[in-house]
Amino acid sequence: MMPPLVQVEGISKKYGALRALEQVSFAVTAGEWIAIMGPSGSGKTTLINILGGLDRPTSGRAIVDAIDVSVLAERELTRYRAEKVGFVFQQFHLIPYLSAVENVMLAQYFHSVADEAEAAEALARVGLGDRLRHLPSQLSGGEQQRVAIARALINHPKLILADEPTGNLDEANEEIVLQLLQELHAAGDTILLVTHSPAIGRMADRRIELAHGHLVQIVANAN
Amino acid sequence: MFWRVLWRLLRASSGRLALALVAVTSGAAVCAALLNLNLDATDKLTSEFRSLGANIVISPEPSANAETMDTSLLQNISALRAPELIAAAPYLYISAQAGEREAGVPVIVAGTWFDEVARMNSWWKVDGQWISDRGERTRCMVGQQVARQLGLAPGKPLLLRYGSREAPLQVSGVVTSGDSEDNQVFVSLAVAQELSGLAGRASLVQLSVRGTSRVFEDMIQRLSLAFPELSVQPVRQIAAAEGRLLERIRGLLFGTVFLILVLTSLGVLATTAGLALERRRDVGLMKALGGSVREVMHFFLAEAIAIGLAGGVLGAAVGMLLADWIGRRVFSTAVEPRLVVFPVTLALMVLATLAGALPLRLLGRVRPSEIFRGE
Repeated sequence: MMPPLVQVEGISKKYGALRALEQVSFAVTAGEWIAIMGPSGSGKTTLINILGGLDRPTSGRAIVDAIDVSVLAERELTRYRAEKVGFVFQQFHLIPYLSAVENVMLAQYFHSVADEAEAAEALARVGLGDRLRHLPSQLSGGEQQRVAIARALINHPKLILADEPTGNLDEANEEIVLQLLQELHAAGDTILLVTHSPAIGRMADRRIELAHGHLVQIVANAN
Repeated sequence: MFWRVLWRLLRASSGRLALALVAVTSGAAVCAALLNLNLDATDKLTSEFRSLGANIVISPEPSANAETMDTSLLQNISALRAPELIAAAPYLYISAQAGEREAGVPVIVAGTWFDEVARMNSWWKVDGQWISDRGERTRCMVGQQVARQLGLAPGKPLLLRYGSREAPLQVSGVVTSGDSEDNQVFVSLAVAQELSGLAGRASLVQLSVRGTSRVFEDMIQRLSLAFPELSVQPVRQIAAAEGRLLERIRGLLFGTVFLILVLTSLGVLATTAGLALERRRDVGLMKALGGSVREVMHFFLAEAIAIGLAGGVLGAAVGMLLADWIGRRVFSTAVEPRLVVFPVTLALMVLATLAGALPLRLLGRVRPSEIFRGE
């Protein structure tokens, strides 16, 4: 039996007196699409940040692709972020003064070598082949999020972490982004997606539900 | 990709960076001008100081009981080939009579080389004409006290007598120096030697030497070694004052350059403080994408270095022109552009800009998760 790609073991995270996560444990198999759900302040983003190497747990272990992220030194965390994970944020978080293709190339640059042709191809795959030279301010919200998805995928990460990727999109653009995520899932990518939307949650293989930092339940969807 | 991002960064904040560029260019211009002046100042100022007269005197040793010395030492002084030596004038002083035998008035006659004296004492006020020929045998110059006492003026005859020898001369100019020269009659060395019968002899040699105190002291030492049988003495007051003034001016220039560098850094600091706030989110994002602190900070420090270099190049060019302008206004002569000033100014401006870019350097501490939480 294959070991899980993600193994979370008794993770807790405190910010001063605030307990953002409390003894959360679960495992994710490679190729799974997991929806992380729960009300605001339930610890969803904290969990994603820990798995993405942006934050450290106060206690417990987070193992991704056989790497214990919770004990990595700062320099190792940097390499981990460049090589193992791809982020998609609710606010898109593109560099405003770089064009669409340059935003994607920046992720390549930090990973290894920037390759404009490959970056352009990634943008073409998300339907932005004709928007390569546009600045983020010249793109719609949905287009910006597609640039972010291309950027997240460009280094072929083991794990895609999406924090409310459709939270700032209208219905039409939400449809496009979800379609892209479904295609990624079908291609075998592992996705952890934070969402408030029950409809999006039902598209995943499983739902991990959090409340006040505690894991409430893990529900397998009948897809 | 590095250059691409750098170019985008520069374009994105062109307004703010233009302010920093103005600060750096202004600082570089003043620094380059002052450094150029500093390098040229020794020459220019000492040239000015030379108008103050001689600063070294060579004379017979008092213990040797000789009142005169052989003028052949002047060839030996030339043989030293010291570029810092501006002029060397021999003097033979004799006490002669001026006027006809029955109405003669005692005067101090100084036999010298007029061309060297003119170079050494260009500040003397001369009514009439300087004599430029060191072998002049028919004309003389007289101090203004002597002229007043004997009723002399340019063009008038003057008969000098020493024992049975006579030298009929014509007054070419009346000298006002405000010093002992006002009481002397100046003739060529050859005339004084013939009049006194002291062929090939001089009472002393006055030298005018340019340079800092150290150069001056070195010259004294070289001359002492070259003429051990003679007394080589500095004209203390003038020499020490020149050295002190040169060192103070140099200190003032360096102090001003340092102050300019501090002000330039503060100007850059004011600009980059605002810039750093704008860049926090970008730095957090770049780190989230896997950028190391070193990689991310290279972008922002390169931005600061680019401003330092651009401002340094522009400012150094302006500074050269400024130095020339100051040289013409203050020293009435052009200041030569010193190429070494260019790289030194560039290096100083890059350092000042990097010092002023402290807020950008602190961006390396930004934690991505804090940025995404909106802290």
